[in-house]
Amino acid sequence: MANYKIHDNPVRDEWLAKIGELRTLKKGAEFLTDFRARHTTPLRENYDLELDWGWIECKIEEKVALLKHAELNDDQFLNNCVGGANAQDVADVAVAKMDACTDKYEAENLHINFRRDYKPPIMPTNVFMDADRLLGTKLMELRNIDYYAMPLEELRKERGVKIITIQ
Amino acid sequence: MAISAATKAATDALAVNRAPTSVNAQEVHRWLQSFTWDFDKNRTKYPTKYKMANDTKEQFKLIAKEYARMESVKDERQFGSLQDVLTRVDAGNKVHPKWNETMKIISNFLEVGEYNAIAATGMLWDSATSPEQKNGYLAQTLDEIRHTNQCGYVNYYFTKHGQDAAGHNDARRTRTIGPLWKGMKRVFSDGFISGDAVECSINLQLVGEACFTNPLIVAVTEWAAANGDEITPTVFLSIETDELRHMANGYQTVVSIANDEAASKYLNTDLNNAFWTQQKYFTPVLGMAFEYGSHFKVEPWVKTWNRWVYEDWGGIWIGRLGKYGVESPASLRDAKKDAYWAHHDLFLLAYALWPTGFFRLTLPTKEEMDWFEENYPGWYDHYGVIYEEWRARGCEDPNSGFIPLMWFIENNHPIYIDRVSQVPFCPSLCKGASTLRVHEYNGKKNTFSDDWGERMWLSEPERYECQNMFEQYAGRELSEVIAELHGVRSDGKTLIAQPHTDKDGKMWTLDDIKALNCVFSDPVDAL
Repeated sequence: MANYKIHDNPVRDEWLAKIGELRTLKKGAEFLTDFRARHTTPLRENYDLELDWGWIECKIEEKVALLKHAELNDDQFLNNCVGGANAQDVADVAVAKMDACTDKYEAENLHINFRRDYKPPIMPTNVFMDADRLLGTKLMELRNIDYYAMPLEELRKERGVKIITIQ
Repeated sequence: MAISAATKAATDALAVNRAPTSVNAQEVHRWLQSFTWDFDKNRTKYPTKYKMANDTKEQFKLIAKEYARMESVKDERQFGSLQDVLTRVDAGNKVHPKWNETMKIISNFLEVGEYNAIAATGMLWDSATSPEQKNGYLAQTLDEIRHTNQCGYVNYYFTKHGQDAAGHNDARRTRTIGPLWKGMKRVFSDGFISGDAVECSINLQLVGEACFTNPLIVAVTEWAAANGDEITPTVFLSIETDELRHMANGYQTVVSIANDEAASKYLNTDLNNAFWTQQKYFTPVLGMAFEYGSHFKVEPWVKTWNRWVYEDWGGIWIGRLGKYGVESPASLRDAKKDAYWAHHDLFLLAYALWPTGFFRLTLPTKEEMDWFEENYPGWYDHYGVIYEEWRARGCEDPNSGFIPLMWFIENNHPIYIDRVSQVPFCPSLCKGASTLRVHEYNGKKNTFSDDWGERMWLSEPERYECQNMFEQYAGRELSEVIAELHGVRSDGKTLIAQPHTDKDGKMWTLDDIKALNCVFSDPVDAL
């Protein structure tokens, strides 16, 4: 239960203070990827920040983007991930894994985790967007074949949901 | 006077090969389409499971000059009517007060749809490879920009020339408070611009425009006119003249993928999901807006729905696409059941939650109740008796200390929000087909109201992460939420939303709401 204002609230203030402490790109990037793993995507560790995660993530991304601007030269900015890896190489590995994938749940994890780990500003947008398009295309292809073939009861089991009530 | 040799040579040459003195627009269109590109290395920015053919035609074959000429004439007629004759005859004040409130919702929400359609058609322009098909999408992008402005202008006109401006004038910041907003975003925003580009076209053009613009943009003009509103038909019929082009674009999208092997694997699934997505919101919301947001009735929503959605669209329009492998959605039959009671169920909830609106709602009068019972036999025994009880308890009067939301709590009728459609439902009270199903996944509870939506979530859970109003406001007192989200009039204390449109009736204030001590809770916490 949140019980605080939507736009100006103590949770956002607390995170703004933490974000303000980030002084280096390395720390900023670690902070962002850790935040995404804990608080974003359907595979997140917990829903403690359910109401504010999107706003907070955006503020961390803003800070990391500024740190990137301060620390990277133009060539690095366009071609490298924040940790120094060649962005296209990283993207190619992810796309190759997806190309080889034939299971929709595995494909879903690949796509979600790629976004969690590399969504800009971690990876340059020019590389990320095209890789994301390729991953998304394959995921949709796998998901949409025989969409209605499985009975709902089996689909619930396959997704691994716990049934609270079914009327 | 003697002419030079060069001039004579030119004159002689022209006598043999006469230069055109005019150029037919269709010739220009053909000439423009010859400027094609090498698509081998070209790619769209957007994901899609389909391959759009490189030689797809479009039906309107408009060039920008012809388009601009045509639209400027429409704008002159529309704005001329609005600013001259309709203002002089005081059209804004001749609108029935109930309908004035309804237009706060319809025009503002449609503005969102038009705005997102700009992006959607831009995406389709990027995704298509045929120059003609791109040209068709481009014309639609321009249309959608025009329509966004038109919808905004309707609310502006009502604000300036009509009655009770609050809600017309600031809907963009107050519309997010209540439960209708997020469902509208699901259909008008997510449905149009997220996921597969072709699936977005199916949502926007094949379902949203070919199926629901007749009930929405055409039917609304009939209801408006019947309720004294000459403003809405003036603008919305001008919008509708462009919609045929959009329906044609949807048709051509299907034609463009018809020869792609993928189409047979995915198309009918995407169509069914798109139809269910759109109808799950539009069927109850439009029916509610027309029948409960008007005083003078046109025809029962169930008849309008049956004619335009079930027969014209599900039968004739989709039937014409049958040769490309398109089938009527399997969910059409379930949607038809929803078209009878779903809007009645929704109004019960909308009225119960009236303080969260940016418009005024009214209970049906005795005369209107008779109309409901005559057209929906069994209506009175289920809904009419509840409205009579609420009225008897003084729900319109702030001195009563009663809002109908309290009745739901007293009678143990929890209200849930469907995670996929974001449409509220009350399984213990509804006469429609909604049934409660609640899952827990990765520590989070999700609520659904039907098989189709539940399957969509189980298949693609990351698409439906949106928090609902009970999750957002849980633990908060109602007047605090309204105040924070600007749901008050310019005096800073009177609510924009009211449970009546009586000019002599007392208006509810933040203090009246605060006195109720109504605190939000999320009903799934109790499960």
